[in-house]
Amino acid sequence: MFLQQLINGLTLGGVYALVALGYTMVYGILELINFAHGEIYMLGAYIGIIALGLFTAWGWTAAAPALSLLAAVAVAAVYCGAVGATVERLAYRPLRRAHRLTPLISAIGVSIVLQNVVMLTQGSADKVFPRLSDAPTTFAVAGATVSALQLWIVGISAALMGSLHLLIRKTRLGLAMRATAQDPRMASLVGVPVNRVITATFVIGSALAAVAGVMVGLYYGVVNFFIGYVAGIKAFTAAVLGGIGNVPGAMLGGVILGVLEGLGAGYLSNEYKDVIAFVILILVLIVRPTGLMGERIPDKV
Amino acid sequence: MKVSLLARIAILLIAITTGACTSAPSNVLTIGAAGPMTGDQSKMGIDLRHGVELAVDEWNAKGGVLGKRIVMQVEDDQHDPKQAVAVANKLVNSGVVGVIGHWNSSASIPASGVYSQGKVVMITPASTNPRLTEQGFPTVFRICGRDDQQGPLAARFVRERFPNAAVAVLHDKTTYGQGLAEEFQRALGAGPRVVFSSGVTQGDKDFRAVLTTVKAARPEIIFFGGIYPEAALLVRQARELGLTAPFISGDGTYDQKFLEIAGPAADGTYLTFGPDPADFPQSQAFLTKYHERFGPHGPYSIYAYDAANILLSAIAQAGTTDGLKLAEVIRGTSHQGAQGEIRFDARGDVLNAPYIVWIVKQGRFEQFWRPG
Repeated sequence: MFLQQLINGLTLGGVYALVALGYTMVYGILELINFAHGEIYMLGAYIGIIALGLFTAWGWTAAAPALSLLAAVAVAAVYCGAVGATVERLAYRPLRRAHRLTPLISAIGVSIVLQNVVMLTQGSADKVFPRLSDAPTTFAVAGATVSALQLWIVGISAALMGSLHLLIRKTRLGLAMRATAQDPRMASLVGVPVNRVITATFVIGSALAAVAGVMVGLYYGVVNFFIGYVAGIKAFTAAVLGGIGNVPGAMLGGVILGVLEGLGAGYLSNEYKDVIAFVILILVLIVRPTGLMGERIPDKV
Repeated sequence: MKVSLLARIAILLIAITTGACTSAPSNVLTIGAAGPMTGDQSKMGIDLRHGVELAVDEWNAKGGVLGKRIVMQVEDDQHDPKQAVAVANKLVNSGVVGVIGHWNSSASIPASGVYSQGKVVMITPASTNPRLTEQGFPTVFRICGRDDQQGPLAARFVRERFPNAAVAVLHDKTTYGQGLAEEFQRALGAGPRVVFSSGVTQGDKDFRAVLTTVKAARPEIIFFGGIYPEAALLVRQARELGLTAPFISGDGTYDQKFLEIAGPAADGTYLTFGPDPADFPQSQAFLTKYHERFGPHGPYSIYAYDAANILLSAIAQAGTTDGLKLAEVIRGTSHQGAQGEIRFDARGDVLNAPYIVWIVKQGRFEQFWRPG
């Protein structure tokens, strides 16, 4: 049973980590908590449903379920990347020089708008995800059951996190992102196109959230327009736990949160499953506000 | 994208302003229909609305009631107790002559206090928690059975078909779900033993953690007190975890949506619900009309239709819209509904509410067992 809860928790953790990355990257560069990020994840799940619905109608899912999954994930990532860039351009960039709380309120507004757009166009009832196969493939490992989908989720999450790490550490874009995170004005003085770097950050973060959305939709079986709220809070908790602004921290925070939630629900009380995340958030904020891997952030004057 | 958004906002604003200034002229009678019209259980609210709508249109085609045209006021309680009270106040204040609703027990019970104070007749087509009619409100009626009927029936079924089985009990912590699970557990008696019991959170989408614990308790059958959105995910995720014990649930799970969400995993699930109206000659006219207008009927469409007819014929018979007089007439009359004869007892419950056990076979509900 321990192993099973661990597997369940790791799957969740991979998803939380993907969403947490978007929070932490945006915070690292703009010091903005992008409260609309959870809605991007929800939007990704809906795009996934629409894409998989089309693929099923065209007979692709029956012919190549794994490829269809990857294609749906890609479609959602591209779409949500574009939405993320648009949101940044329309809702955050005009407020770049405003008081720090102003873009925060704008973010809450974007979140409400996205929720309602999806509710009005897709309806408020739960949407059922198309099934990739009628009998899910499962493997028995030492008394626990692992589904193929769980392996996919963990695998895709790990691959994306690895790629992101390489992107930030090894590429010119990554270098520009790190420079912008340290000091946007200085970065622009030495020729870093700050606005383009910020757009790229939003595109990457939103695409990761969309991937998480599609995979979770498949994993749970249904989505509705409200799922971004709880997922957003949990991913935010993961980002804070790892140290907000710290990319490896968000990955670690996501995995730890998922595993703690799985084990807590299994051994403490299932009824308080969601409370675990919030207790962790409060404890981290009281005991170690910089998170597990965060450095002390000097106050900006 | 920007333009369509603006257009939507404009439509919303118009809807709000027109909605706010509806005042009833005196040549119409308004009846309320309340239930979860949006959200995960919206299918149930819409079934309820359709049932009432069909009855109202038939009465209007015959010239209305007391010489007045009947209009419907539909309100959405979002299966939220707080919202249900707000909606009830709104309906009472707009002067409805009666309300068909609510759907969820957790909405009906708090709302019933408001209707009772406003002396407005309320007939719920679907709320099965016993407490609703135990409050002693004279204007509150229930046209379906009670959980202290269907819970014990499920218990008896488990005793007979799964003697000495290990039973796991789950519920959604709502008035209905937890109440039904408790009635089931109380009636289980000696023989079957409860090896696990826990609540799950309504609206949650991931039940793998609790199902893993359930699996470790090795139950032979799993009872779930709750509604189909959670029931379907429980069944589906249980099968993915290799938990093969059958589920047994109540009327809240009896809907096509359950089959749609759970998919092939639904097969072998037992449910307690009333018999199929398709078997009764007196229901055929209703079913034909309903199918023509709205498509396939939901589990509680026929109950809502009968409830609306009972209310409207009571108004016609009493010649008044006074709530207390209407309640007297409803209580004292034998009604011929689409489901057959309906009579109420002193509390406002129906005298005869047969429950049977259904099973899901190859994606369809089939009648399976009735108490011998």
